[in-house]
Amino acid sequence: MSTRPTLWPYLLIAPAVAGGVFLLLYPLLKAALMSFQHFRMGEPIRGGAEFVGLDNYRELLAKEEFWQVLNRTAVWTAINVVLIVVLGTAVGLMLVRLGRRMRLLLMSALALAWATPVIAATTVFQWLFQSELGVVNWLLGTRGFTWFADPVAMFAVLVVLVVWQSVPFVALTLYAGLTTIPAELYESARIDGGTGWQVFSRITFPILRPLFALITSLEIIWVVKCFPQIWVLSQGGPDGATTTLPVYAFKVARVLHRYDLGSAAAMVTVLLLAVALVANLRRMLRQEGAR
Amino acid sequence: MRRKTMRRWALNAAAIVAFAVTIFPVYWMVVTAFKPAKEIQAETPTFIPANPTLRHFATAMSAEGFWRFWANSLLVTAGAVVLALVVALLAAFAVARLRWRGRGAFVVVVFAAQMAPWEALLVPMFVIARDTELLDSLAMLTGVYFMITLPFTIVTLRGFLEAIPADLEEAALVDGCTRAAAFRRVVFPLLAPGLMATSLFGFITAWNEFAFVNVLIIKDQANRTLPVWLSSFRDVFGTDWGATMAAATLFALPALALFLFLQRRVGVGMTSGAVKG
Amino acid sequence: MKHRLLALAAVFALAGCGSAAEKGPSSAAPAKLTVWIMDGSATKELLAGFEKEYEAAHAGVDLDIQIQAWDGIGERVTAALASTDAPDVIEVGNTQVAQYSASGGVLDLTGKVADLQGQDWLPGLAEPGRVDGRQYGIPWYAANRVVVYNKDLWAAAGLDEPPRTREEWIEVTRKLNKGGDQGIYLTGQTWYALAGFVWDEGGDLAVREASGKWRGALDTPQALAGMAFYKELQALGKGPKDADEANPPQHEVFAQGKVAQIIAVPGIAARVLEVEPDMKDKIGYFTIPGKTADKPGAVFTGGSDLIIPAASKHHEEAYQVVKALAGEAFQTRLAQTMQFVPNRTSLAKVLSGDEGTAAMAAGAANGRATPNTPNWAAVEATGVIKQYMTAVLTGGDPLTEARKASQVITETLNSGS
Repeated sequence: MSTRPTLWPYLLIAPAVAGGVFLLLYPLLKAALMSFQHFRMGEPIRGGAEFVGLDNYRELLAKEEFWQVLNRTAVWTAINVVLIVVLGTAVGLMLVRLGRRMRLLLMSALALAWATPVIAATTVFQWLFQSELGVVNWLLGTRGFTWFADPVAMFAVLVVLVVWQSVPFVALTLYAGLTTIPAELYESARIDGGTGWQVFSRITFPILRPLFALITSLEIIWVVKCFPQIWVLSQGGPDGATTTLPVYAFKVARVLHRYDLGSAAAMVTVLLLAVALVANLRRMLRQEGAR
Repeated sequence: MRRKTMRRWALNAAAIVAFAVTIFPVYWMVVTAFKPAKEIQAETPTFIPANPTLRHFATAMSAEGFWRFWANSLLVTAGAVVLALVVALLAAFAVARLRWRGRGAFVVVVFAAQMAPWEALLVPMFVIARDTELLDSLAMLTGVYFMITLPFTIVTLRGFLEAIPADLEEAALVDGCTRAAAFRRVVFPLLAPGLMATSLFGFITAWNEFAFVNVLIIKDQANRTLPVWLSSFRDVFGTDWGATMAAATLFALPALALFLFLQRRVGVGMTSGAVKG
Repeated sequence: MKHRLLALAAVFALAGCGSAAEKGPSSAAPAKLTVWIMDGSATKELLAGFEKEYEAAHAGVDLDIQIQAWDGIGERVTAALASTDAPDVIEVGNTQVAQYSASGGVLDLTGKVADLQGQDWLPGLAEPGRVDGRQYGIPWYAANRVVVYNKDLWAAAGLDEPPRTREEWIEVTRKLNKGGDQGIYLTGQTWYALAGFVWDEGGDLAVREASGKWRGALDTPQALAGMAFYKELQALGKGPKDADEANPPQHEVFAQGKVAQIIAVPGIAARVLEVEPDMKDKIGYFTIPGKTADKPGAVFTGGSDLIIPAASKHHEEAYQVVKALAGEAFQTRLAQTMQFVPNRTSLAKVLSGDEGTAAMAAGAANGRATPNTPNWAAVEATGVIKQYMTAVLTGGDPLTEARKASQVITETLNSGS
């Protein structure tokens, strides 16, 4: 349909590519380079850095703590993503069925939760779960319970925070998707005597499968990379119980000034994410090719 | 019939629970900000302040540099969002409407770019800024935020664009419009809600960012932004919860206001951009 | 479309090269000196007064004094040292000065020690500022904690004499801890108070072994005894076990009038009065009691040093500012306004006559510093000691927890820089 197909597309993506090269690829390569160097507090100050080959990676992989962190990151991601997608879907389905006024009310609440900046939200959660004056302890009748001192409780608080912040995106996106499904499809399914679950698994889910795939991969990326929430609330504690990979990389880099080891940890994170999502990326590439 | 009423009832009850859980943290933030210190420290919390006060807001707003940081944040965030929208729109158009070699690879790379480990790029970014004499400049920050938001913006805008039937454009072309004119007159109006919705995501992301400010804005303290101020605010006031919640409220306000404003205009279209995977 | 693309390219270029032209060489023009002072080190009036006088006395110098927040200060100072146009004078905590000095980004001021009358600097400030015999950090001020108490509550409990030993202290505190009143408000993560108790027992936070390696020492019997005392004392009030004294700010809690004692620097009185002016004349101070009456409890000497980044463009002018800030005139004013200990022992006399600073000075005689290694700052930043304290206070086994924490400290201290 286009008469001069050769150059236009490339001109159109040029600004995006240029931005990506200068502001993402170049610093990323620098970070990768750093992971093969002796790069600590002195190097950025004095300039120059010595190559040490794979030493940083060797040191990282030899650390018992690293493997614990890796495990924890997997558990953290699984719990959060499952909760987010399940609850988000439930709320999305609920939205479609609600009356107009109730729906608007719930949607506004979701919007508010979603739009609350992370820094504000983490501050609020510190206050909600404060041990002596926090309203959560008052509600549960557990006054004085120290949420932030108990490894399991701290982990739970962070899960609640991340799920609370992420469900709105999933719910609103799915709701938008659900409204595109023609009502007749449901009607016929109902007439055939399908239960709610059957309708969902036979009609809703298959139609929205690409949407679910997209949401799930986005949530995996976001949850794995989730950093400010954890850092502000627990700094990875207590006792390392909430140290996930990005928190670990940051701790190593900024606290111990081991920028080299931190970079190595970050590179490993990206690699693992890419591997975890390779199926999805492949599917995307295939889909694009098929068009 | 009774069964149906019961169902309706259960559904509404569930919705109310979901509403309460979702809104409570935000509500508690605002309510605490209006409570006098005595009420905040009270053994039994009050859910509606008995003696609302604006004192905490006054404390927060009169803190040094508040307005300056506010303006900086707005400038950097708006700059990054607008830039990302324009650049993303061009790329999204190329992906959604044109056929070219390398398109699939481009889409995958854009998606993968969301995995970028930004925390690990702090030091490289610092070195780059230093070597190009861009330390302490808001332009550098704008550039970084632009890049952080760009990939998602492209993915989302592309979804919105594909939701608009290409036939509409072609009809305009047949009517003798140029490609650019067809885009401007036909596609753009339909895309406006999508653009607004997408801009909100960028806004929230950039508005929040604080790690880069700490390493890119060093000597010229006046160029700091609001999130950094909020974290230092907690430092300055210890944890004066009233003032902190007032500060958090003030910090959340622009994003919330923008959202409510957009939701009115855009309604359901809010997130439908992502619908097309 | 083409002109739009051009416009875009222009916008893009703008984002790329912004304000590069704004910065020019400024050595010939009146020197603008940037000075970083930490939040809480001096009041705004004090700094404004200094700025005004200094500028009047030094034509051609424009001082820009910036208050820095503690949050994220480590990376900001690191970034500043690595930049090409750094602030000219930076105040750094005495537990952190060593790592910056070791990084190579700080100006060596060894030749200026005599000019600054460094012969009687407080050792707790001068030693961390010295690396391999070279003096990088210039002592600025010190402060140590005392017990701040509520005179009304003491009178109500029929007490008048401050305790002289730990035993008496516990006894007194127990008497005060009744009804709605807290005997002492001690948060679970007040780690420098713990450090004092550990030192009293003859232990330390970390020790350097003969091999030159550091080892975390929280699991020694002495350190465990210190922790046991902390736990006993902490239980005589409602201080949160999982927070430090800033969560919530203890001066606010104390200002409510239901807390008999807190452990704090005497300067906290000013902040208490800000919240509750009625507390005036009700605030008393005593030195933290030791194990026996003849020796006060060991205290952590907190304080600050001043450094000049090597990347500052005005070394000589910056030195003059340091000299003024560390000199007798300003030191006197700082000590009196903030209730701090001046940087030289011979200036300590300016503190006489004030109840709070007298208590502090008595304690300072047994002042100690954190382990003197550039990596100590990293131990603080990991929060490992705080987490250890919370774990023990919430029922963890002291020895197990102490071993875990010591292990982390050992690793952190021995990781090269």
